[in-house]
Amino acid sequence: MAADQAKDARQAELRASVISELPNVDFVLGYAKGFDPLHATPITVRSEKDAARLIFDATCVQNLTTGLYGLKGKRIGLVVKGCDSRSVVQLLQEKLVERSELVIFGMPCDGVLDLAKIRVRTDITQVRGAEVTGEEVRLLLPDGPKVLPRRDVLADKCLRCRYPNPIVSDHLIGQELTPQGAEDTYADLDGFEKLSPQERFDFWKRQMSRCIRCYACRNACPLCVCKHVCLADSRDPHWLSAEATLQEKWLFQVMHALHLAGRCTECGECQRSCPMGIPILLLKRKMNRELKELFNYEAGVDPEAVPPLHTFLMEEDKIKDRGQLW
Amino acid sequence: MRIGVMVCHCGNNIAATVDCEAVAAAAREFPDVVYATDHMYACSDPGQKTIEQTIRDLKLDGVVVASCSPRMHEMTFRRAVERAGLNRYMFEMANIREHVAWISLDRKRNTQKATDLVRMAVEKLRVDRPLTPKSFDVQKRVLIVGGGVAGIQAALDCADGGLDVLLVERKASIGGIMSKLDKTFPTIDCSVCVLGPKMVDAGQNPRITLHTCSEVEEVSGYVGNFEVKIRKRTTYVDWTKCTGCGACQEKCPSRKVPDAFNENISLTTAINIPFPQAIPKRATINAAHCIRLTKGKCGACAKICPTGAIDYEMQDEIITEKVGAIIAATGITLFDHTRLGEYGAGRYPDVVTSLAYERMLSASGPTAGHIKRPSDGREPKTVVFISCVGSRDRSVDRPYCSGFCCMYTAKQAILTRDHIPDSKAFVFYMDIRANGKGYEEFVRRAQEEYAVEYVRGRVAHIYPTAGPDGGQLMVRGADTLLGAQVEVAADLVVLAVGAESSTGAPELAEKLHISYDHYGFFMESHPKLRPVETNTVGIFLAGACQGPKDIPASVAQASAAAGKVLALLSKDKLESDPQIALVQAIRCIGCGKCERTCPFGAIRMRELRDGSKRAEVVETVCQGCGICSVTCPVRAIQLQHFTDSQLLAEVNALCRTWDETTES
Amino acid sequence: MQDMGRDYRIIGFLCNWCSYGGADAAGVARFSQPTDLRIIRVPCSGRVDPMFVAKALLSGADGVLVSGCHPRDCHYTEGNLYARRRLEMLRRFLPVLGVDEGRFEYIWVSASEGSRWRDMVTKFTDKIHQLGPMPRMTEPARTLCALDGMLGQSLAQPDMTQPGQPVLPDWSKPAPPLTPRADAMLSMSDIAGIAPETKGDGNGR
Repeated sequence: MAADQAKDARQAELRASVISELPNVDFVLGYAKGFDPLHATPITVRSEKDAARLIFDATCVQNLTTGLYGLKGKRIGLVVKGCDSRSVVQLLQEKLVERSELVIFGMPCDGVLDLAKIRVRTDITQVRGAEVTGEEVRLLLPDGPKVLPRRDVLADKCLRCRYPNPIVSDHLIGQELTPQGAEDTYADLDGFEKLSPQERFDFWKRQMSRCIRCYACRNACPLCVCKHVCLADSRDPHWLSAEATLQEKWLFQVMHALHLAGRCTECGECQRSCPMGIPILLLKRKMNRELKELFNYEAGVDPEAVPPLHTFLMEEDKIKDRGQLW
Repeated sequence: MRIGVMVCHCGNNIAATVDCEAVAAAAREFPDVVYATDHMYACSDPGQKTIEQTIRDLKLDGVVVASCSPRMHEMTFRRAVERAGLNRYMFEMANIREHVAWISLDRKRNTQKATDLVRMAVEKLRVDRPLTPKSFDVQKRVLIVGGGVAGIQAALDCADGGLDVLLVERKASIGGIMSKLDKTFPTIDCSVCVLGPKMVDAGQNPRITLHTCSEVEEVSGYVGNFEVKIRKRTTYVDWTKCTGCGACQEKCPSRKVPDAFNENISLTTAINIPFPQAIPKRATINAAHCIRLTKGKCGACAKICPTGAIDYEMQDEIITEKVGAIIAATGITLFDHTRLGEYGAGRYPDVVTSLAYERMLSASGPTAGHIKRPSDGREPKTVVFISCVGSRDRSVDRPYCSGFCCMYTAKQAILTRDHIPDSKAFVFYMDIRANGKGYEEFVRRAQEEYAVEYVRGRVAHIYPTAGPDGGQLMVRGADTLLGAQVEVAADLVVLAVGAESSTGAPELAEKLHISYDHYGFFMESHPKLRPVETNTVGIFLAGACQGPKDIPASVAQASAAAGKVLALLSKDKLESDPQIALVQAIRCIGCGKCERTCPFGAIRMRELRDGSKRAEVVETVCQGCGICSVTCPVRAIQLQHFTDSQLLAEVNALCRTWDETTES
Repeated sequence: MQDMGRDYRIIGFLCNWCSYGGADAAGVARFSQPTDLRIIRVPCSGRVDPMFVAKALLSGADGVLVSGCHPRDCHYTEGNLYARRRLEMLRRFLPVLGVDEGRFEYIWVSASEGSRWRDMVTKFTDKIHQLGPMPRMTEPARTLCALDGMLGQSLAQPDMTQPGQPVLPDWSKPAPPLTPRADAMLSMSDIAGIAPETKGDGNGR
């Protein structure tokens, strides 16, 4: 119950804070209750009445910074979690949004739910209510409550979260949290890389063959700011054809990963939004791991940082000169 | 589109290992190809005529020639298609000689590979677009960096050709190393007597502006329109008033200043004119040794100066000049022998460098032409010369041959025997490199006529020993011809130090955007065919800055560079290469990443009326590297003639060929 | 070296100023080299988009070689230094796609290093011959992987739910009303390629 009270107090603080800023912004992007107890939905808050709908809990999975670039020129209020704030930082670093146009409501966050994980444990269409407490998630089902350990249904990114507190914010709502996640061990990547190249190639072949080229991954990505002129749709340069071949689908994902090199904050929206459940975040995690190793660089942490691929050193510390080795 | 393909036999060069008829036959099946033939020599006059005629007859709008490397004949064929009325960029070349015929004898595979390469070229040509160069005005002025013999020669030639010349020299006088030499090989004529008149000419020519005590601070712009900032270091003497009378030098009380012109073997005054023939003959104050500037009192020179030229408050000045071309003629410095412990690392005063010895030999030098040991002033009777000091020596990272040391060593040995007839001269050498006109004969004269003793071998060790008339130096080395160890008790040891790139050469290269090698020597554009050009258009090389050279070679290259500059600036307008980056404004999202990565500052961000930004390429500054293309997240900036679509066409052409030839 | 009676598919991207000249120099010196490599000329290694390499490898190239000027020698002073970072990143990234890391290499060869170019091409070609041809897109996937759910349960895939032997869904029975993550099924064409009894019957093609 104490947890509930704390949650309610935080929502009240958020609403009050949003209302106080309403005169200064065109609108505020936040979360409201969705169509069932496990879903939150993004809303635009323009009035006090809208503000009363604002919530913040473990169902607020969406990264609201997506689309921020398209709102350039407007003054926007934005509710962000720790991980979402890294997307904001990255956009600021690339000068794609103006800090002065943003009012950020920072929400320290101890993890959001992964619906896919709940789905393999229960029929989520039957869930009538949900409560998240410190260690467990209590689902109300027609045939009685079902209790799941919270760690089992948290999103993967939350289990390794090192930035529970927003890196940028104008209004910090609630108490700052101590990061729970240790260094990212990349156990998933390590496991995957133990497979032979042929197995890996076949894995992606199967995965990519399921792609329906809906571009949900691209559209959900907060850093895919060039959607309106995306290379995937362009005739000149003609990188991809409209054919639904395995090769084109696969190349699109490679293209997405390469474009996000040094930019991706691993918010995971691409993978979450994929209707076919293709593990595309793995590609980006690989890229990030190598960039960290090569250039000791992490995207979306420092708005003043120089992106590693837009600079160079005369003598690179970690790059051995090629062509000497063989 | 109507494409014509010509496959060249290059005599037997290609046809011996590639079935040219088969390649032409295969090319006829490629999309848009309306004509394909093979020819004995495509680059010959009849070959080019055939191309022109076919373009006219068949109304072709693109041509592929499969022959040698485009680095060889691309321009030849571009001009040919242009004569027939096509845009010169509607031409592609497939390299089937260097990359196919010459590297493998397997005729079947070679023919397949040549066909693939022709197909790539055809596919690229299908997405090529005509490009038109833009013309721009040029500055008919040239900047020459370095006032040694190469710089002076280049300046005189350019001025003769009618160009205004800015000659920038770091030291107080032009003349360079040659002005320090006593005599020159192989004629033994007086160095400064040959150079002097040229220096005077350079000083008096109305078209030449000398900037001595000056250095290039910054270079921007492009061929025809460089903007150069020159830092004129303070001399504390107003040169417009100074007459070079030398009265100040006589009065200056600070008389213990090492004389750099005399390789620091003598002393001079804090205010001085470096040498009698200096151009411009003006005094400068050495601030580190001037009593007035270090301690605040004195002022003797200001009191004596008849024109009131001394100005202790003088500051560095930076001037900006516009020039159309630049010649780098920064020359060399000499290897620092104090790095070598076996020769005493500079501890023995009687081990001197060849250039210091040259000053001793010179009648205008500190000893007035009498050879004296620096330690006790005695005339040496045994002089040992050691060649290859800092040349051909991997242990000090100087594996190259400096080229001129063998010759000046022979000259100095001859002069030694000349000045002191009862002396003995020994030369320790590795090999004699005397490959110039009259050079070998000159070395022979030293050996035969002047009885200079040549010992083939390296010196292992020099150590002091007590001689009959005071201290001597024992030179111990091997005689590899005799297979024995030799020891010579020498009164004086002269080290034939090798050449190194001039101090600060890499920094200058970076300012000029030209490349330099591991040793700091500037890189020519092509080692054989473009030896005075650099890879940056409008910047040329003269003299030893490009690699160690003796005087005749430096002068020859200087005149060559001047000729290149005169040819370049003989035009009133230059054409810019259209193979540069171009922004598709409709795709640009204004993120500015291209601006950040452009090495030439050729990209500007332009603000639109709605406040959004678009990248814009400054056409004349862009060099066409394409770094921006890859940086751009939407590939909105594309390098013309190497666009994504064009390169993709080549990649796709290959992948498709493979699918067709291997899937069956 | 395995000889298939035809060339392997190797694409080279060479900068115009150094490496293309180096390859020319190797030709002029008549250095014998394997014929597999097809060279695309670019102005600078900085122009080589990592995407070209990815595109080539996914379009059927068996190997891609990029060569530029030695660091510090770039005609454009900085192009190869940017290229070095981009290409190193790509080199490390490609293995996750199942592209063997040996299939892509970037090297520095100057215009005067004809013999070095010959050595590099020969070694690279040998390596590609050892690796064999790149798996083709049109071939059915031949392996399954028992990933033991290590990609997280949110990505539970039919071929990675159980440790040990991978289990395929039984397509003969009607689908259960609510299969977890039903959207993550293999496509029919893949199954045809994997299932042992259908192997080689031409369905996979």
